Amino acid sequence: MGEFRPRIVVFACNWCSYAGADLAGVSRMQYPPTTRVIRVMCSGRVTPGFILESFRQGADGVLVTGCHPGDCHYISGNEKALATVERTKRLLHLLGLETDRLRLEWISAAEGARFARVMTQFTEQVRALGPSPLTEHATRSTQYATRDTPHHR
Amino acid sequence: MGEVLVIGGGIAGIQAALDLADMGIQVHLVERLPSIGGRMAQLDKTFPTNDCSTCILSPKMNDCARHPNITLHTYAEVTGLEGEVGDFSATILKHPRYVDETKCTGCGECAQKCPARVPDTFDMGMRRRRAIYLYFSQAVPQVMTIDPDHCIYLRRSKCGACVLACQREAIDFEQKARTVCVNVGAVVVATGYDFFDPRGLAQFGYERCPNVITALEYERLVSASGPTEGHLLRISDGRPAKRIGFIQCVGSRDVRHQRFCSAVCCMHSSKQAVLAAEHDAGVESYVFYTDFRASGKGFREYVARAEREYGVHYVRSRVARITEDGNHNPSIHYEDAETSRPARMTVDLAVLATSLIPRPTTAALAQVLGIEMDPYGFVRTEPFSPVDTTRPGIFAAGCCRGPADIPESVMQASAAAARAARFVGRGNR
Amino acid sequence: MSEGPRIGVFICHCGSNIAGHVDVEAVEAYARTLPGVVFVQRNLYTCSDAGLSEIKRAIAEEGLERVVVAACTPRTHEPLFQEACREAGLNPYLFEFVNIRDQCSWVHMQEPEAATEKAKDLVRMGVVKARLLEPLEEQEVEVEPAALVVGGGMIGMTAALNLAERGFAVRLVERGPRLGGLLLRLDKLYPTHEDARALVAKRVAEVEAHDRIEVFTSSVVSEIKGFVGNYEVKITSNRQPATGNQHSLRVGAIIVATGARVFKPEGLYGYDGQRVITQFELEERFRTGGFDAERVVMIQCVGARIPERPYCSRICCTTAIKNALQIRERQPHAQVYILYRDTETQGTRYEAYYTRAREAGIQFIRYSLRHPPEVTDERVVVYDELLGARLGIPYDLVVLSTPLVACEDARELAQMLKVPVDEHGFFLEAHVKLRPLDFATDGIYVAGTARWPAHLEETITQAYGAAARAATILSKDRITSSGVVARVDEALCRGCSRCVEVCEFGAPSLIETAPGMKVARVNPVMCKGCGACAAACPTGAMTAMHFTDEQVTAMVRAALGH
Repeated sequence: MGEFRPRIVVFACNWCSYAGADLAGVSRMQYPPTTRVIRVMCSGRVTPGFILESFRQGADGVLVTGCHPGDCHYISGNEKALATVERTKRLLHLLGLETDRLRLEWISAAEGARFARVMTQFTEQVRALGPSPLTEHATRSTQYATRDTPHHR
Repeated sequence: MGEVLVIGGGIAGIQAALDLADMGIQVHLVERLPSIGGRMAQLDKTFPTNDCSTCILSPKMNDCARHPNITLHTYAEVTGLEGEVGDFSATILKHPRYVDETKCTGCGECAQKCPARVPDTFDMGMRRRRAIYLYFSQAVPQVMTIDPDHCIYLRRSKCGACVLACQREAIDFEQKARTVCVNVGAVVVATGYDFFDPRGLAQFGYERCPNVITALEYERLVSASGPTEGHLLRISDGRPAKRIGFIQCVGSRDVRHQRFCSAVCCMHSSKQAVLAAEHDAGVESYVFYTDFRASGKGFREYVARAEREYGVHYVRSRVARITEDGNHNPSIHYEDAETSRPARMTVDLAVLATSLIPRPTTAALAQVLGIEMDPYGFVRTEPFSPVDTTRPGIFAAGCCRGPADIPESVMQASAAAARAARFVGRGNR
Repeated sequence: MSEGPRIGVFICHCGSNIAGHVDVEAVEAYARTLPGVVFVQRNLYTCSDAGLSEIKRAIAEEGLERVVVAACTPRTHEPLFQEACREAGLNPYLFEFVNIRDQCSWVHMQEPEAATEKAKDLVRMGVVKARLLEPLEEQEVEVEPAALVVGGGMIGMTAALNLAERGFAVRLVERGPRLGGLLLRLDKLYPTHEDARALVAKRVAEVEAHDRIEVFTSSVVSEIKGFVGNYEVKITSNRQPATGNQHSLRVGAIIVATGARVFKPEGLYGYDGQRVITQFELEERFRTGGFDAERVVMIQCVGARIPERPYCSRICCTTAIKNALQIRERQPHAQVYILYRDTETQGTRYEAYYTRAREAGIQFIRYSLRHPPEVTDERVVVYDELLGARLGIPYDLVVLSTPLVACEDARELAQMLKVPVDEHGFFLEAHVKLRPLDFATDGIYVAGTARWPAHLEETITQAYGAAARAATILSKDRITSSGVVARVDEALCRGCSRCVEVCEFGAPSLIETAPGMKVARVNPVMCKGCGACAAACPTGAMTAMHFTDEQVTAMVRAALGH
């Protein structure tokens, strides 16, 4: 059996965590190519919907990253992210998904090494959990190539 | 004439430049080093909120680089000033980087090929960089610089590995120093401070004991972007430091060295002790102090939290000397002020809060600018015109006018901008 | 072939930084297969002049309606590419950045195949977002080139003068009957020992002589509406009997300099206003010639650094030193003791001042809260922590150093301005370190002891500093908002006010569109584009432009699609 390579969606805030990801790059710190970063201005922008949609589309893990408490560029966006992630974990539990597939991490702009470490650790954590149980059931109707209009609302 | 010269690209110079530029005034920001950022860029976190220094500084640095009203002159010095308030003519000497700023992208391919290893001054010599280098990862501008003292090509006309590595053909060994003249209405001096060299106080054992380090070295040590990637390790053997002593007033409040108080050490040592506990909850920290000064906004509350939540111990004492045992463990000999008895404590790491002193280059700059210094060698100001120097049209902000913490420096910078703006631009509309 | 905007993709080699670890040709070939992509080009350096020219050329010649650059990081290079789009006539918000260097080639250097696959995914994510991008407009509002300064003490006056000298109109509001503030009631100023009232009088004369400053004494701010650049302020007279006088003003920026008051130590250390007085009362005696004592004991931190008021008031040690030196000047043989906990004499000037006091023979005795001093009828009993002994010091006069505390009306003003105060009632700035004189709300600033106890040297600095901050607004004819702001679909909004609650910047507000019908409106100039309101909105009425639900979820799908 080939090694399971998890698919992980990472939401990163523009000011701290995305900058931390860049610093990991500038410092040439290596981590597994399992993550796909989506930049948002603030971790407070992330909704339960974004997270649930990630899982519905087959993500094996979702990581929300933001500024450390007190560092938020928008004062309290990271506190809102914390509440969102906690709330969404309860939803995941109801849906029968392991709550460990969702993680929140504070990563500052100076923490390139930490960004790389978190990516590595979370990849391992998700790998240990195995493929998302939703993956098998996930309809592939939204596959990119067949999708015509991206408006799904 | 609607322009202002800001000398020094640390947080004070950056803030003054941004405020002036946002008032629609053209600013020339001159920085001696290859990047703006100053001392604050070297810090890990900052008190009293423990927010990450880079995270809050870096956006301001980028704002400076992008601002249409700011011209950055990095790796440059002010060598002349003629004229008078409202109509100064300043000479800026730009040192050769040997790299074309307009071509270099700061990608660092050249540094990977450069064979010369040099102690990294940004990391207090605790790491090595190459002779061609980016001053630090978030440097602004993102441009490489060649260190002429260590570049093999510049010294011996051999090598040129960087030339081969650079696909943008940005390396230019023919680059020469050049001067630029600018006409400005006012000047803001924000040249910052230096640290007292603890080798001047042999009793603290800085030279003898590898595990006696300075506060700034400690900052690099706990910084995630520093030489140990933020792991709090001893210099001598790379083992984790479990017990740390922070020694206050090293060189400060001392008639033989600096008579003044360095204003920030009580707080930065508290912060450093808190950071140690954040890295490893098992670390024991001891702060050895004489008077504890914490009157800034939120400072007393911070110290109370350090004591209560992070278990930081505060020892009112006078440290006499530091020796070390066979395992390079520093041994702090002190007189406990509570008992008036001599005592001793062995630690894994001793951190010296060395005084903030005037930069040695400030005296020469003061001569160029025609401004007076105070008895300590800082730029002279008066209490009730706090950012005015002795020469009309020249203002001072930040630690060049005496020790100050970051909020004070930032406020002084805005104040200097207000005073300088008075003599340029759209006054008397 | 799907309908939709014509998308161009530019893939940067970054020399070998990207091309050395990612198969850029494969990424190029893949990009060509993506719906909507009509043009793909690789560049050695897309950020070079040649690369930027190619972008502009392709916009013109290929009719590109969206531009995607796959290169380094938007944090450094987005403005450059946006500018290129703008120059070619394309709305800069129709540009999307894909980071295939810092977050791909550089972090997967040993795995070129996986890095290439990831780069393809990232390009796909960028392209789907680009398809959904909308042109955004930056809103402009005019700025009223006038400032309101609240507080007519030394700090308010200094800020007002600086702004007036720069050419701005200033309205200066003072609650008391005359300008001057707390300094009017002091004797000398440390560390120079200049006469406080002389310094104030000079500043008052300058203010009153300045034709751009309009002074409203015995007046308070009674209403504030509007936003940065455009505040509408009502000022009401508090003269008794009430006159009902009211003025309406328009200002672009506001500086709060309402000062602080001195804590009165009722019930502490035998305070009676006669033999046990405050430093403040001592200075009154100096001024009125009512001082007469040979043996004076000063007690520091009275009502400060205690559980109910844990902060240090910063100025009391230096104030005690000043008054101790004044006593010695008046009565060279007077004995003056200062009972302190820590000497707060930071920096160069104040440490020198402390030294001067010790050299003048002022006695400093350290006490701790374990053994607080006791004031009896004849003596002050103190446990000297350094000597380790109890001392009984006979006195003629005990002087208590009490902290500055927030003014009672600070909270009311804060509510009107919609800015926060801290737990002690001092105004709370936007960021302790980097925005110490700003509030989170643009266009409102704070200076002086309304913010925190500080030396006069520092508060004067703050006065100039706040003036500079206000001038950054007032110097502009117009303020331009970013296009990346929140937008409300009024048809979906049910006026629940969640957005108003979560916004730290006061950008959304509820307005009544019909009787009983409320909807949210966002002021784009106040909005910072963080998107918290869009995340909080229960009906989907609020959209974070440039990071819309559709755009983000499309990226999610693209990230996980094949």
